[in-house]
Amino acid sequence: MLLLGTLLHAKQISRSPFELAIAMIVPIVQATLAVYLFRSGAEQHRLLEAAVGAGVMGVWSSVLFGSGGAIQNQRWQGTLEMIMLAPRRPVLVILPITVATGVTGAYSLLATLAWGRLLYGIRLDFVHPAAFVVAAVVCVLALGMFGLLLASTFVLLRNANALANTLEYPIWLVSGMLVPITVLPAWTAPIAAVLPTTWGARALREATTGGPVWPSVGICLAISLVCLILGGFALTYVERRARATATLALA
Amino acid sequence: MKTLRLITVGGVIAYRALFNWTRPSVFIGTLLIGPLFQLLFFAYLGRQLRVADDRFYIVGNAVLAATLACVFGGTLAVGNERRFGTLGHVLLSPRSRTVVFLGRALPYAGNGLLIAAFTLSVSALLLGLRIPVGALPGLLLAMATGSLACSFFGLTLGALGLRFRDVWVISNVAVALLMLLTGVNVPSSGLPGWMVTIGNYLPITHAAEAARRFAAGDSFAAAAPEVGREALVGLAYAVLAAALLKIFELESRRSASLETL
Repeated sequence: MLLLGTLLHAKQISRSPFELAIAMIVPIVQATLAVYLFRSGAEQHRLLEAAVGAGVMGVWSSVLFGSGGAIQNQRWQGTLEMIMLAPRRPVLVILPITVATGVTGAYSLLATLAWGRLLYGIRLDFVHPAAFVVAAVVCVLALGMFGLLLASTFVLLRNANALANTLEYPIWLVSGMLVPITVLPAWTAPIAAVLPTTWGARALREATTGGPVWPSVGICLAISLVCLILGGFALTYVERRARATATLALA
Repeated sequence: MKTLRLITVGGVIAYRALFNWTRPSVFIGTLLIGPLFQLLFFAYLGRQLRVADDRFYIVGNAVLAATLACVFGGTLAVGNERRFGTLGHVLLSPRSRTVVFLGRALPYAGNGLLIAAFTLSVSALLLGLRIPVGALPGLLLAMATGSLACSFFGLTLGALGLRFRDVWVISNVAVALLMLLTGVNVPSSGLPGWMVTIGNYLPITHAAEAARRFAAGDSFAAAAPEVGREALVGLAYAVLAAALLKIFELESRRSASLETL
């Protein structure tokens, strides 16, 4: 059910020219920016790292805006009541949507790598190629689970889109997707440590440039499972409250 | 006088209408905190890569901060009329639609200036950049010119909304491209020639350069040519927006596609 649901929603999102353009063109522009920045900084040897980082940034943007608005979008489409009426736990109904935003976000990663290879001749010499694929899949799933927590908490906020707009750059920054965490103020370290984005980005970077990939993959997965559990509870609470107050369809 | 009233009062009313359903939290989150973190992201990245100093990133990104409000605002000014079904009413007005729409860009430019000034002030405090007090009038002028040029650029994109179905793709991509092509984050010496050439015809490029010169303590005479170039770019986009609005309005009337989404 989770797999079929994810496929259905990924297909649905992929039918939107807007979603595709945002998932592919904007990360490519960001990857180009990163490539020229790294070149200007005489860091030619880190161009693959820059392309991967820009791709992960795209995955996060997709999850943030897609998952953050997952429930709201269903509400606007008039399908929220129907999916909540399904004889399944709410988490099983909403999780496929948030994982699907991660899957479509993976277009960004593929697009930035293909762009870097074709236009800038960046050799895709991953130190651990198999681990990179595993880390990418785990990263997408993990962000999908994190997305569930976002979806279930954002629905409680009337202006969740404002929060979503605010969270894009801070997470890019604190998670070390392009900027190493070591150059940031020390107080950001505890925040970075509890974010699955930090460990997902780190796992992909270690698979690209070398380093212990599996501990990062494990921590990323563990934090995401915590997000899944918290998101599940939050979703059940939100659903019961909305049923009790008859506000399910109301913004 | 009537035209001036139409530009200012009409623009302000349309802007206020937007805030009837938009809340302060959206404004603060999207337009104040978002650009501030964008600036911090590039400032820390620039520090780590040693591409340029903090002043380069802080001043450049502060000027760029206006793009979000100005580009999307300009696009909204036209696009939302169509989306909410009020475009027909506007086009039925016996007054010049060109003036009506150009007036819409002004509050967004003011908004952009506010955001740029906020972003510059807060980031300078956070990252410890000292700006000479004498540079402030010049900086404000550069930011105001950049915001105005950017609003007319947004209005041009909004005009495309009368012809193309999904103008949001265009405006989202445009905002991302401005980040790359205006030389705000990568010095123009690090960009290919063709990107620099395109950047010269985009808003923000010259305003950011002028602002950097003012912040570095250069005289008004040294930075004025860049401010002038930015004003010219803005004027060109205002003319282009007016022409496109006129052409697409006529086309929409001819093909009865005004309300087609």
